[in-house]
Amino acid sequence: MAMAALRREGRRLAPLISPRTITAVRSSPLYPTLEDEGPLGVRHISTQVVRNRMKSVKNIQKITKAMKMVAASKLRAIQTKTENSRGLWQPFTALLGDLPSADVKKNVVVTISSDKGLCGGINSTSVKISKGLHKLNSGPEKETKYVILGEKAKAQLVRDSKKDIELIITELQKNPLNYTQVSVLADEILKNVEYDALRIVFNKFQSVVSFVPTVSTVLSTEIVEREAESGGKLGDLDSYEVEGGETKGEILQNLAEFQFSCTMFNAVLENACSEQGARMSAMDSSSRNAGDMLDRLTLTYNRTRQASITTELIEIISGASALEG
Amino acid sequence: MLRRALGLLPRPIAAARARSFSTDLPAAHTADATFMEAWNKVMPNMDPPKTPLSFMHPRPPTPSSIPPKLTVNFVLPYDSELSTKEVDMVIVPATTGQMGVLPGHVATIAELKPGVLSVHEGSETTKYFVSSGFVFIHANSFADIIAVEAVPLDQIDANLVQKGLADFTQKLSSATTELEKAEAQIGIDVHSALNSALTG
Amino acid sequence: MASNAAVPFWRAAGMTYITYSNICANLVRNCLKEPYKTDALSREKVHFSISKWTDGKPEKPSFCSVFIRSLHLPDMVANL
Repeated sequence: MAMAALRREGRRLAPLISPRTITAVRSSPLYPTLEDEGPLGVRHISTQVVRNRMKSVKNIQKITKAMKMVAASKLRAIQTKTENSRGLWQPFTALLGDLPSADVKKNVVVTISSDKGLCGGINSTSVKISKGLHKLNSGPEKETKYVILGEKAKAQLVRDSKKDIELIITELQKNPLNYTQVSVLADEILKNVEYDALRIVFNKFQSVVSFVPTVSTVLSTEIVEREAESGGKLGDLDSYEVEGGETKGEILQNLAEFQFSCTMFNAVLENACSEQGARMSAMDSSSRNAGDMLDRLTLTYNRTRQASITTELIEIISGASALEG
Repeated sequence: MLRRALGLLPRPIAAARARSFSTDLPAAHTADATFMEAWNKVMPNMDPPKTPLSFMHPRPPTPSSIPPKLTVNFVLPYDSELSTKEVDMVIVPATTGQMGVLPGHVATIAELKPGVLSVHEGSETTKYFVSSGFVFIHANSFADIIAVEAVPLDQIDANLVQKGLADFTQKLSSATTELEKAEAQIGIDVHSALNSALTG
Repeated sequence: MASNAAVPFWRAAGMTYITYSNICANLVRNCLKEPYKTDALSREKVHFSISKWTDGKPEKPSFCSVFIRSLHLPDMVANL
């Protein structure tokens, strides 16, 4: 209703605005009326620009609200999946331990990011952590390569770490994520890179506003055997009997492949979930910002309108009193 | 296949797994500490990332006597079928044959082949058909079963199984390359396992 | 790896464990009754694009394939 009233008001005032004012107004879009008062004897203050501005802010708010809704519904679907997949990596960690500090020659950092933007800082966090791991694991006789998932990490890493990129994988989220897809992808990665340790970097979803940057380490069979023989954290692995297969190495080989695909699956889901959560909160805060801005603009608009009415009244009254006098 | 004796020996791995509880195992934290230290040296301005260990559900150490129940985690990529559920026995289709797991089973890593997994709890038995996966039996009477696909037996269509079996038998005879042969062989393996699961 | 005899037949044929387990899972899914079947098969749509990089350049600039994989089995293409 209020909007309709404003529109009517605008129509009434529109013919009064001279062409010159409009051009002047364009150059300073937000508070144009202050400077434009006066010249050429136009006393009516333009409200057109403020109104346009209000309209566009309102549209932006509508868009961000819609994006928030979309993110929220996507989040709901993917959050169930993520929570269901959380059991998947735990057995592997229970058996093979967690060795982020393993010192090996060929390191591969698998950076997981999103294809689309507008989701807060999760992609740059992934990239920063990956660069940190790269730094940590580089040195003489050591090399670290990147395998990148998602456009956003690609855009950031291509800039300064071009030489170390081994594989780039995108368009993962065209269909809803599923295990078959991620395992085929994991298979592709295993076929195309040589590794001693794969370090998967992703944002673990905790709540809509908190994401924990996480590194999962998957070691190759040789390294697992080396670590198990040398005792240490994996020393207990030798106490396990191995059923099936001719050799322990064969089972461990299958196990390492399976571990990588399971860990990847959970990591990809966690990151997708964080992405939607981050997008949701980003869109929520921008809708709120747009609301605030709209309030301010409405205030300015009403003030200006009031001022022009007052001016008109003064003119009429002073004209009338001059006649009377 | 029901070996239990070895499970009684005290095992460091179980203690290591309960690291969030036990204080007598400083070694558990050293590896992480090395990582943190190295990280802080290289990237002083940024917090080190978390590792999966910090999200693990803690596992109890190996008890001195065999517990009455076996704790089972049965996970699929899209679901956790059983989560730390206490049962009497599970029978898993290992590549070497059906393997019964009771509390106190010796620590084992076994690969699964297509076959029937049954979970015995009191007088009740739940049966699943699993496609493939792994089972880890830990010394503290924990069993982790990971499968790619598992379905209750009553969801399987017997006609499709027969058809598949016939198809792949025919494919095996017409296969020319190694890869085709292997695919047909897998087809026969899976379908005959399905068949015997339904009839047996 | 040990001698050839120690290798399971599928690895000898050039498959990896992941491929093997996916084929097994697919065959099991294909033998389900409806509506479980459709539901389970919806969990195996594969789509992504991959490009290999060497020395800071994509290996072949045009090599950026989108593949919907059928895990080699021709009769599975219909399901994907």
